[in-house]
Amino acid sequence: MGASSKLPRKAKGERPYFFEDPAVDKLLAMLMALAGEVSVLRDRLDTVERLAQEHDLFKQTDIESYRPSDEVLVARAARREEFLSEITRIVQAEMEGQQLKAELDSYDEAIDLVETDFKR
Amino acid sequence: MQVSEMEQYRHDMLPKTGHDDLARQHFVRSFKEHLVKKIHGGNRVAYETRVKPAFEKAHRRPPGSRQEVRTVMTKDPHYRMFSALLRTSQELMWSSTQRPVERQIDELADKARQSKGAGGSLTLDPTLEIPRYHTAVDIHCQPGGYHNEFVPDDVSAGAVYDRAVFIYAMGQMGPENADMGNSLIAWLKANRPEFRPSRILDLGCAVGHSTVPYARAWTDAEVHAIDVGAPMLRYAHARAESLGVPVYFSQQNAEKTNFADESFDLIVSHILLHETSERAIHNIVRECHRLLRKGGLMIHAETPPYKGMDPFDAFMLDWDTRNNNEPFWCRSHEIDLNALSAWGGFDPAKKFEVMSPSAHQVAETRRSHVFQGGDFGGGGVWFLYGCEK
Repeated sequence: MGASSKLPRKAKGERPYFFEDPAVDKLLAMLMALAGEVSVLRDRLDTVERLAQEHDLFKQTDIESYRPSDEVLVARAARREEFLSEITRIVQAEMEGQQLKAELDSYDEAIDLVETDFKR
Repeated sequence: MQVSEMEQYRHDMLPKTGHDDLARQHFVRSFKEHLVKKIHGGNRVAYETRVKPAFEKAHRRPPGSRQEVRTVMTKDPHYRMFSALLRTSQELMWSSTQRPVERQIDELADKARQSKGAGGSLTLDPTLEIPRYHTAVDIHCQPGGYHNEFVPDDVSAGAVYDRAVFIYAMGQMGPENADMGNSLIAWLKANRPEFRPSRILDLGCAVGHSTVPYARAWTDAEVHAIDVGAPMLRYAHARAESLGVPVYFSQQNAEKTNFADESFDLIVSHILLHETSERAIHNIVRECHRLLRKGGLMIHAETPPYKGMDPFDAFMLDWDTRNNNEPFWCRSHEIDLNALSAWGGFDPAKKFEVMSPSAHQVAETRRSHVFQGGDFGGGGVWFLYGCEK
């Protein structure tokens, strides 16, 4: 398939935004696209489990009765923490910013600082 | 099996989907169902419990029209959330159906080129002017619209549309998306049992979802179908051939065709009128009158008009006008059909408007039984506007 065969992704016509801030609409669109990809992954995993059972590799009940080793538990917990940190980044960032306020009242102050730290 | 899990019929032209393509499309269908069943109802709750009371407090009366409902509902947080999600579901639907089609775009064109077997035909007219109401915006947000071509002998618009309609209607139009055609036929057979058309014309046929049922219902009849979009027609022809149903497809504008005067007994359309314009709808009715033999029937299947509808319901049904690239949706649902029929040359006394039950009875149990934005086919009935010549 050549590059010329790419179909347009944007429908001709102005897109309506429903919230005062279009960013809210955009975030929702991103969230649902992400939810879609999670759903696709879950379906794919389901396929893997069913195929494994059909081919006598392991059964779905083996998954239920699987007891992770300590090593696996530690690795999973670390991955989950990283995953959650990524998702809740914006919430954490707000509080981190709150702490830094002690040093600087506002971002304007930072601009002011670098723009006015030299007088000829 | 419930309607929501039922799959589309896999005819030869249906684009192939990989594992994740299909999972992505299933997600969109589930997302749409979720919106219909769990989120949409909140709009009425918001309206009854806070939007209407606030309006009544300010005006000492409830909102009297869908326009008045609109001014207040569009500010409601639940309505905004619902609308943003519904619009997103529409965009995800196109994207999930486009991706696999894009990968096999040349293969599908090849397949369509080689289609034969049922004895139908395909006549394209590269000089046909695509009407402004199709080029202004991409109808119902299908990127590229019905008519644009991206490879030689392109069928991609048809391939995307075929799959997307199934997802859009959440299977409520049956495994071949044929419910509108089947419902109109069922109504005709029940109410005009003596009527046996020998020459039938389907206007704005797209990929022939509703066309094929006519050729099956009256096997002796010659079935013609027209559309302005060449990619739609190529796909429609190949699809009909693969289903073993002979249909004569040609690229024409329903406002002015090349068929002879009084050459059809039955002229139908299915969700065509709302995708045209004020001028076009008049021209189409007049053209139907020219093409029909005396005693012939013109029948257009649509979603019901707004007249007599509760202002809130009309407002919700009007969602597509502004939010789904259906600019003529609103006006076409409010047009005076008596005046339209008379202008077209028909006797308004021979005009009829009926609500025809959906033929896809199997879907009954899972339907929401309301007409609402984002739940196409959920009402369980279709509106038929017809005239006898």
